[in-house]
Amino acid sequence: MSEWPHWLPLLAVLPLLGGVLTPLLFRRRPVIPCFWAVAVALVTAAVAVMLLLRLIDSGDFSYAVGGWLPQYGIELRFDQIGAFALPASLLVMLALVFSRHYVARTVDPEKISYYYALVLINLGGLNGFLVTGDLFNLFVFMEIFSVSAYALVAMARQPIAALAALKYLLLGALSSLLVLFSVGVVFAMTGTLNIEDAAVLLEGSSSMPAGLALAGLATGFAVKAALFPVHFWLPDAHAAAPAPVSAILSALVVKAGVAGLLRTLELFGGGESLYLQPLLSLMLWLGALGTLGGALMALVQRDIKLMLAYSTIANIGYIFIGLGLATTSAVGGAMVHAVNHAVMKSALFLAAGAMIHQTGLRNIDDLRGLGRRMPATAFGMAFTLVALSGVPPMAGFVGKWQIALGALEAGQPLPVAVLVLAGLVVLAFGVRMINALYFRPPARVSTVSSVEAPVSMWLPVLILAVASLALGLAGSSMLEFVAPAVQAIYGTPP
Amino acid sequence: MTVVSSLASHIDYLVAVSLFLTGAWILLTSGNLVKKVIGLNIMETSVFAFIVTTGMVDEGAPPLVAAGLQGPFASPLPHALVLTGIVVAVSVTSLALVLILRIKAELGSVELDEIALAPKADDSAGQSNQRGSADE
Amino acid sequence: MPELVDIRPLLAVLASLLCAGAVFTVRQSARWRAFWSLAAAGIKFALVWSMLPGALAGRVYVYQFGELLPGVAFGFRVDALGLFFALVSSTLWIVTTVYALAYMRGSHSLPRFFGFFALCISTTVGIAFAENLLTLFVFYELLTVCTYPLIMHNEDLAARRAGRKYLIYTLSGGGLILAGMIVLYFTTGTLSLAETGILEEAIGRSWLLAIFLLLIAGFGVKAALMPLHAWLPAAMVAPTPVSALLHAVAVVKAGVFGILRTIYNVFGIDLLRDLGYADWLAVLAGTVIVIASVNALRQKHIKARLAWSTISQLSYIVLAAALLTPLAALAAIIHIANQAFSKITMFFVAGAIERGTGKKRVDELAGVGRQMPWTMAAFTVASLSFMGVPLFAGFVTKWYLSLGALQAGEGIYVGVMVISGLLNASYWLPMIYLAFFRPPQTHGQDASPKPARVSPMMVVPILICAAYVILLGAGASAPAMPFSLAEAAVRFAFELKVPLE
Repeated sequence: MSEWPHWLPLLAVLPLLGGVLTPLLFRRRPVIPCFWAVAVALVTAAVAVMLLLRLIDSGDFSYAVGGWLPQYGIELRFDQIGAFALPASLLVMLALVFSRHYVARTVDPEKISYYYALVLINLGGLNGFLVTGDLFNLFVFMEIFSVSAYALVAMARQPIAALAALKYLLLGALSSLLVLFSVGVVFAMTGTLNIEDAAVLLEGSSSMPAGLALAGLATGFAVKAALFPVHFWLPDAHAAAPAPVSAILSALVVKAGVAGLLRTLELFGGGESLYLQPLLSLMLWLGALGTLGGALMALVQRDIKLMLAYSTIANIGYIFIGLGLATTSAVGGAMVHAVNHAVMKSALFLAAGAMIHQTGLRNIDDLRGLGRRMPATAFGMAFTLVALSGVPPMAGFVGKWQIALGALEAGQPLPVAVLVLAGLVVLAFGVRMINALYFRPPARVSTVSSVEAPVSMWLPVLILAVASLALGLAGSSMLEFVAPAVQAIYGTPP
Repeated sequence: MTVVSSLASHIDYLVAVSLFLTGAWILLTSGNLVKKVIGLNIMETSVFAFIVTTGMVDEGAPPLVAAGLQGPFASPLPHALVLTGIVVAVSVTSLALVLILRIKAELGSVELDEIALAPKADDSAGQSNQRGSADE
Repeated sequence: MPELVDIRPLLAVLASLLCAGAVFTVRQSARWRAFWSLAAAGIKFALVWSMLPGALAGRVYVYQFGELLPGVAFGFRVDALGLFFALVSSTLWIVTTVYALAYMRGSHSLPRFFGFFALCISTTVGIAFAENLLTLFVFYELLTVCTYPLIMHNEDLAARRAGRKYLIYTLSGGGLILAGMIVLYFTTGTLSLAETGILEEAIGRSWLLAIFLLLIAGFGVKAALMPLHAWLPAAMVAPTPVSALLHAVAVVKAGVFGILRTIYNVFGIDLLRDLGYADWLAVLAGTVIVIASVNALRQKHIKARLAWSTISQLSYIVLAAALLTPLAALAAIIHIANQAFSKITMFFVAGAIERGTGKKRVDELAGVGRQMPWTMAAFTVASLSFMGVPLFAGFVTKWYLSLGALQAGEGIYVGVMVISGLLNASYWLPMIYLAFFRPPQTHGQDASPKPARVSPMMVVPILICAAYVILLGAGASAPAMPFSLAEAAVRFAFELKVPLE
């Protein structure tokens, strides 16, 4: 139908509007805002499905907001990167379902409607970020999801939450300004804010301002994506945030940073810019360091949320290795891994949240023996941990295989070793958790007497765990799906 | 000569970058949280100034339709961008200040050194063996 | 070779998967748990055996479903070698399940134990039937995952240590296989196991060497190829049925199977002959045979001695495969069965002795032969097989391995066979002697030993396996015996159309 493009802005507008309305409609009510938020997220997901079907059918399409054509107006564009809006909406929906019981204990009752509002606004900002074709619009949506993320981290009642949120805010704002500055430079150089047009105008440019803009954009998005060594905000934010927020942060917000980087590469990728190759090499090396460093740090953590946070850093490292290698297999693998990791990490954070909610404890040694007391949650966590470590045919495998293959194609055998090694380390801490859950007797009284979490908490975990298997089996189709985007970003495949 | 002239032609970049770096320095190295926010604001201002100058036209007129004003007009697009940016900056700053108020109330200080040493603070950065509950 | 699309390979894997699910869900009912465990093993057995006539006639059953990676299908292909492995596993699984039901009575976490027990057979058959390396790898890693809870069953410190060692070794091995697979896929664009070699000389020596080392080392971990063997003795702390499973049926055979696939289907005989890597492998295997046997001699615990004997016996298979001749290949494949049946008999006996008399050490065996005559008789049969006495299974292996060594012009390995036989005698015979010809150590009470009470559900499997050892040894050449299947496998690998001699 030729009207589909008109639905494109809905991806961002629906959640934003829904979010803004929430505190107005449901002030001080604890439960109804949850249903409302879930409904909004569900409708957004439905819109995303329809747009995705249109994408598969007839390729990319764009939409000029307000009827103003791209040169003067904002263009929205739905391509493979925009398709991430679907898993994003679904993940947020599941996190919201989970939140129903969880936030009752972690957030002040008066602020609960604000919590749901912020989550929806975050989703709106994220979706908008993914589908926009205009640089400044990109900045605005980025700020929307970033600021709502800062506020969400601060929602927990712990004293440490405010400090962690502030640290996140300061680092995040710094990176956003880098992006804004670079957008300004690009505008100064090309006179346009439209990504596609600017890419054409910037083709092969090797001037200093171009280099500056590229560096600024890359750094800014790298901070958002928690690439080593600018990943510092992530562990603190995760330790303080409520579990569903951690899930959204690790699964979605950092992936937005990755998406931003993909757009940057699209902007500067055509032709042979002098700065592109050093940037890609840098991404490769930092990714490799982040992978190993993150995995090793995760291994030594005793707090379960910190362990998962460092695991996120490691997985982002994989993705950057893939992006830095710049071959078709590697980049395709990185993009597929971004989606798969989002699903798996959400499952893990939600499961961890359920365990913390039921026992009040976060240390892995304290969570021993929960395998019998919380069977559904523990099974979900164990299953997803196996998936995360890259055991085929589950979701963690496809991306890594493709990235390793891409490494060989690019003549760099070292990343293969890094990937295999990191995979073993991930298995190590995964096994440690599984051991604690199933093969150790409980160590604390609160674990002995704990019961299974409410359905609204373990059901999303299991759904996501099953998805980790399903996505793994569908890996081949996913790779085929992202192939056109890879082509578009890197020009011709090498 | 060419270095000086290329520097001169890129003076707008230079000023913006140096202000930006100044703000960044303050943000990263200051021990007082309020000063960090000030540094952030300096950075934001530098970026806005830079964006506005990209639209400037020598001997240009303000982009208004009024008697006595005629072309060439300065580009109004950067003005729109900066206005949006200012709104974003205001919201970020206000959020930061609210958080600082809460930190002051809960941890007793806005100086990072004092917060790190204060007995109430249980900083969970790094690999702490934290047994604290996530929910109070 | 005519390929038929047949759903039976898929069913074979799925059937026990579903039965395993049933075992997990029936929870506390011991009767249903036993039923579903036996159902899993039985259905598997029936399905696998039903494919035997077809395989003997030269048919290959395939079943594919979808692609896991672009260009790499996920599917099954039942050829002679795979069917052989599956036959051995599924036959032994039934007896092991019966034995386990008796041995584990009264233990804890039985749903978990038997559930994963049934899952392991699924994954083993998946390995046997894998159409390409990726499918094999999937089931190989899943086998590691499913055996872990079994090793950890006792949940004490020793179990955790053993489990950790097991995982470190097997998962690292898995990592090596993965790296090898990536390089293989990169250089050839395929991971298929349907050919007699998918690699060619043109790829380049460094790549070929890398692939060989990565795959052999990776599979070598589970095949307990020294120095990658340390997990095996450590895993002795697991309950006896688990040891029997690990050391006779599933895990170690999977490792050896992987090595066979690498040699016959990834590299191919001709390429390896040109490259000469296999010679080094043969030397290593020969060394392991002797060193492991010497170590077995030094062990005082029965199960430890059995573990080291396993390490030695597995290298027979590796050696035979590395000799690259048809007769040696026959020995390699046949030994999968021979070693499996003999070793499992011994493990069952060890478990029966432990349950019946509480004895675990070699020097405590005095008089056990009078208390448990049938059990020790079976043990004797198995040891005779290992020593290479004619009419027992082990002799067939040694015979063909020696012939194969001569065929390859490496007469030294015949010497290795002889030495190994002598070493085997030196550590099995004293045990038999002690059991039958020495009076039991009394502790001041009454002098006549009571016959030990061991459940018939444990003794019958022992006897069945021992009988099979004799059958394999004496009746090897009879048609429809696994021997002809092994011949078919060898014929394929060497692209021969005529009998092997």
